[in-house]
Amino acid sequence: MKKVILVLTFLWALFGTNLVGGDSALTHVTFIPQWIPQAQFAGYMMALEKGFYRDAGLDVTILRGGPSSPPLEALKSGSATFCTVWLSTAVQQRSSGLKLVNLAQIIQRSALMLIARKSSGINALNDLNGRRIGLWQGDFKIQPDALFQLQHLNVIEVPMYSTVNLFLKRAVDVISAMWYNEYHTLLNSGFSQDELTTFFFSDYGLNFPEDGIYCLEETLKENPKVCKSFVQASLQGWIYALNHKEETINVVMRCAEAAHTGTNRAHQMWMLAKMKDLILPVGNKTILGALDEGQYKLVTTTLLSLGLIDNPPLFEDFYRSQK
Amino acid sequence: MRTKFRSSLALKLAVFVLCGSVAVFSVVLLYSYIYSRQIILDQGKGKALNLALAMSRKIEQQFIAVHKLPKSLAGFLESSTFDQKTLSRVIEKMVSDNSEIYGMAVAFQPFGFEKNLRAFAPYFYKIGKTPQYCDLSNAKYNYFQQDWFHIPVELKAPVPSEPYYDEGGGNILMVTYSFPFFYHSDDGKRLGVRGVVTADVSLEWLSKLMKEINEDRKGFCFVITDTGVFVTYPNFNYVMRESVFSVAEENNNPELRKIGLQILHSNRGFLDVGTSFCTQDSFLAYSKILSTGWTFGAIFPKDVFFAEVERLHRANLLISLVGVSMLALLAVLVARSIARPLKQMAGAAKKISVGDLDIKLDATNRSDEVGILAQSFTQMAEGLKERDFIRDAFGRYVTQEVVNRLLKSHDGLKLGGEIREISMMMSDIRGFTALTANMKPEDIITLLNRYLGQMVDILLDFRGIIDEIIGDGILAFFGAPEPLEDHPERAVACALKMQQAMAEINARNTMDGLPRLEMGIAINTGSVVVGNIGSDKRVKYGAVGPDVNFTGRMESFSVGGQVLVSQSTFERLSNILDVKKVLQVEMKGFEHKVKLYDVTGIRGKYGVALKDREEVFRALTKPITLTYCQLSQKTISSRGTLGTLREVSQREARTTCPERIAQWENIRIILHDEKGEIPKAVIYAKVISVEEARDFYHVTVHFTSVSPQALHILQEAV
Repeated sequence: MKKVILVLTFLWALFGTNLVGGDSALTHVTFIPQWIPQAQFAGYMMALEKGFYRDAGLDVTILRGGPSSPPLEALKSGSATFCTVWLSTAVQQRSSGLKLVNLAQIIQRSALMLIARKSSGINALNDLNGRRIGLWQGDFKIQPDALFQLQHLNVIEVPMYSTVNLFLKRAVDVISAMWYNEYHTLLNSGFSQDELTTFFFSDYGLNFPEDGIYCLEETLKENPKVCKSFVQASLQGWIYALNHKEETINVVMRCAEAAHTGTNRAHQMWMLAKMKDLILPVGNKTILGALDEGQYKLVTTTLLSLGLIDNPPLFEDFYRSQK
Repeated sequence: MRTKFRSSLALKLAVFVLCGSVAVFSVVLLYSYIYSRQIILDQGKGKALNLALAMSRKIEQQFIAVHKLPKSLAGFLESSTFDQKTLSRVIEKMVSDNSEIYGMAVAFQPFGFEKNLRAFAPYFYKIGKTPQYCDLSNAKYNYFQQDWFHIPVELKAPVPSEPYYDEGGGNILMVTYSFPFFYHSDDGKRLGVRGVVTADVSLEWLSKLMKEINEDRKGFCFVITDTGVFVTYPNFNYVMRESVFSVAEENNNPELRKIGLQILHSNRGFLDVGTSFCTQDSFLAYSKILSTGWTFGAIFPKDVFFAEVERLHRANLLISLVGVSMLALLAVLVARSIARPLKQMAGAAKKISVGDLDIKLDATNRSDEVGILAQSFTQMAEGLKERDFIRDAFGRYVTQEVVNRLLKSHDGLKLGGEIREISMMMSDIRGFTALTANMKPEDIITLLNRYLGQMVDILLDFRGIIDEIIGDGILAFFGAPEPLEDHPERAVACALKMQQAMAEINARNTMDGLPRLEMGIAINTGSVVVGNIGSDKRVKYGAVGPDVNFTGRMESFSVGGQVLVSQSTFERLSNILDVKKVLQVEMKGFEHKVKLYDVTGIRGKYGVALKDREEVFRALTKPITLTYCQLSQKTISSRGTLGTLREVSQREARTTCPERIAQWENIRIILHDEKGEIPKAVIYAKVISVEEARDFYHVTVHFTSVSPQALHILQEAV
């Protein structure tokens, strides 16, 4: 077990060997998504697969993300040019001194949620009082903390890591989950939708935009063209991915197989379908890849009120549209 | 086809029997099929469940066996004090001594091993057969966050991990057991979790076991985790990637999802899973492996499951098909054996309806109902034939009208009569007895039959009722039993027709060398008694009364070719009759002479006229001597008298006789030549007039019959 993980750490090999690696006309950049290869990053995979990056003059290497390879560390160390992180994370980091800029906001809505077994007697938010709740640590805790504070809930917090096993083994009554990932994992572990009570943070005034494309301010200053090319090719990749589901899932599955993530098509299909809802929310006027100032303000205000930041960065400094 | 079906009993019967037997066989087959399937299903279900249970127990035993090591290590850690070195040695030994164990670790809670050591987790794992050491407490790996550590700590209970493939160690299916061990108070009370003992255990035995089972069986077995993830499955791609639910979602098969839920929520079961697991329609038997919460499942394709039943059913079907075919064949044969005679009888009935009674049926020798019917049918035809024969024969002996009357009503046979006015006719061949005295009997019959045949035909044409035929004489009447208004007219016309017919009869007789015949007829009209006369044994429809006798007497005055009509008849027809001559005759019982009318024709609707028979006499060149004698009561008197023949016509002759002969006397004449009497030259005649001369009498005779020799002599003499 441990051996496997040890062996696999940092070993998400590049794919798309058809790319001419040694082409000097292309600018080499490295991209690290904040999690393991899955449909959450289908747009970047398709941009690479369909040659959108190459067409934009870029030779892109996509690194494997995950709990043991935090993207911002990679950015700071220079091992990655671009990364994706949550808006709340990026705001925190910027306000604490990391010169980070948002080049594009991909996921416009919050997909974070809490899931409880109905059989444990949890049907409403109030029922969370006194319950053991498995929570991801770090940035994932911002919205739950805000929620518990806003709703005056006292919960027993249990740290939760990569899997939902804590919940499945009944070590907790509630866990945090992503709508596009863990929720479906539970459904495909034998839970019916009506056996579960779900709480979406977006329904409780905490609709934080999530994945965005970031780089260091310095990178943008030095290579604005490269930044622009990367963002536009990535958006093109997303449009392609959302419009060609079958083909995209084939590519996602290939990447997932290569990374031994042990997923299945059904799960990735679900995830890609949810991505469409999150990236292009119905009824939301936000255009693809744009960061809405109102949403930004919601995040900074919440972080400020929780005492997680002292000094919210200026929207103009933070968001550098590459449109 | 449809009309053929409707018209063919054999086809109908065959089809009905076929349908009926097919229906019965189908019901029986279906029932036996369903019932035997149910039996097999029940038995098979039990067997399958037992298999699943046995397998899950077997797997369970294996799990419990490998469980023991980390468990005992955890016990050791709780009860002993140890340093780093001792701990490492113990772990290393356990790993190297146990082939199923690929690696073992003892991971401590933060500062659990030593107060100043935050993380400590010595780990031994095999590369080949040699255990290698590694400390898991590096920042990158952060074992505190791993499920194998984190969950048992949170649960304070041992937890098996989800199985996984150890890609580094040669793709071996592995599972990690984690046993938490605790701090204890001095009095032995369990306090917080100090750390977790883990053992990476190979599940290769499970893979092998499943492979072995799957090779032996037509179906296959699998193991799934408590979240439905496939641990082993024939399709390797499923293993640790897919769950029952993801496959259900991928294949859009909500049924499979339901099956998955059922498996997870119960300990044992037997389900009809259709084609959810494989392309064959199958059953699933499953049983939970309690220590891990996993489930062992075995798929049984239904066709294998029901192979016995199917074989039995196929045999049954075959037997039924043969049976039905034989039944159908039998039905056809039976139906044919019934229908064919019936068809034949129908044909025969048709024949009978057009009067052909000569039928022959094949089925009469059969002893069954058809045979009885055929026999009865034949008997009926025979009866009809007999009736027809009787009617025919009856009709010959009795007049058709009488027959009809008898057939129409049984009253026709009642004795008794009524007074009715009718016309009677009596005819007779002149001198028949004498004429035929020397003839051969067969010639006599030929002569008589030819004559009577003609006469009867004519009589029937005029609806005359033949009362009696006595030899050459016929008594007939008109106007009974069916009343006929014009009976006198019919009687006269009939008589005239009969006379006319004599020419033809005589022409044929002459051709055959038979003698010419002359017939006299008398007709009388009067009221007589008509009816059935006789006894119960023998009945005759006839007429009696003085007028009948009178008619007989009248007839004796007639000569050949003559039709004599009585006064009473004449009176009724005077305006349409042609009368040649009126005879005045004396008769017994009548004071005055009786008038008889010699009629030669009748006008009106029947319109018959006889050829003029005016006699033209020719004088003989040389008178012929003759002997004549009187015939009295049809016997010949022995005394002959000589006379002379002088003139002759076609039918009459004028002679001179020495003695007086009474008028209407019948006589026999034998002609002479120079040598005396010629025995064969015989003439029979009736005296029609006698005139007295000086010493002899002129006697005119009318020929009744003339022998060929006599005729020859007369022709020579003229």
